[in-house]
Amino acid sequence: MPNIGNDIVDLNLAKTQSDWKRKGFLEKQFTKNEQEIILNTNDSFLQVWHFWSMKEAVYKCYTQTIEKRFFAPKKFECSLISKDKGMVVFEDITFYTTTVFKDFYLHTIAKNQQKKVANFFNIGFQKTIDNDVKSKLAEITGFLPKKIEKRKSSIGAPTYYYNEKKLTKSCSISHHGNFGAFAFILENEFKRSTF
Amino acid sequence: MTKEEIIKKLTTIVKPYVQNEEGFKNISEETDFINDLEINSANLVDIILDVEDEFDIEIDNDAMEKMLSVKATVAIIQEKMNA
Repeated sequence: MPNIGNDIVDLNLAKTQSDWKRKGFLEKQFTKNEQEIILNTNDSFLQVWHFWSMKEAVYKCYTQTIEKRFFAPKKFECSLISKDKGMVVFEDITFYTTTVFKDFYLHTIAKNQQKKVANFFNIGFQKTIDNDVKSKLAEITGFLPKKIEKRKSSIGAPTYYYNEKKLTKSCSISHHGNFGAFAFILENEFKRSTF
Repeated sequence: MTKEEIIKKLTTIVKPYVQNEEGFKNISEETDFINDLEINSANLVDIILDVEDEFDIEIDNDAMEKMLSVKATVAIIQEKMNA
């Protein structure tokens, strides 16, 4: 089953909230390979948060299926295919990531399959992101946004319903600082082609 | 060090990273760092590094994996301090 995860990093907040140069910071979260890439690039700060968002997005993709929480950033081994495309291996499972870089944020989407899967995503403000997801679902399905209901799994992963019918096959919401973002895959029956 | 003393020190450590003040006011053994205090996952590592410094212990990857709540963190601190 295709799953999707996403993660947004508010770059201004990342600058003030964390110090990647702090002793032990890199060693606790990044593998030897990742640390080497981070330290040998022009913009180490950006590389730290790029890898971090890859790991987070994959964690959010993976934990939708197993419903277990843990903090093990080093178990998610990142590699770069190009500037924006990456691969993350977690316990022999490979995930594929795409990252968008902007002046004030970076945003990563992770999927558990390489082949294309129709998905929707948007980046907005933290305060409105929950409504943004409903608006987007309403726009696609034609249902009233106020009739669309959000439910959370035991670990907090969201699923959206309309009249007890599941709308999203996989969904992930992230926020950091000023920004909020979502990504979801629709249940087959609601895919655009059926309308 | 008693459990209460550990919790007291841990409360001081997590304070700067807390995003939910209401959750912080009610901090207890049952408090979850992310769900209740809304601590950013990117700051979990800061908490772990602060715990290492404060209690003079080393937290390995296996221990770190579980450190999402006050209870789990206190148990790990006790275990490492008694090792």
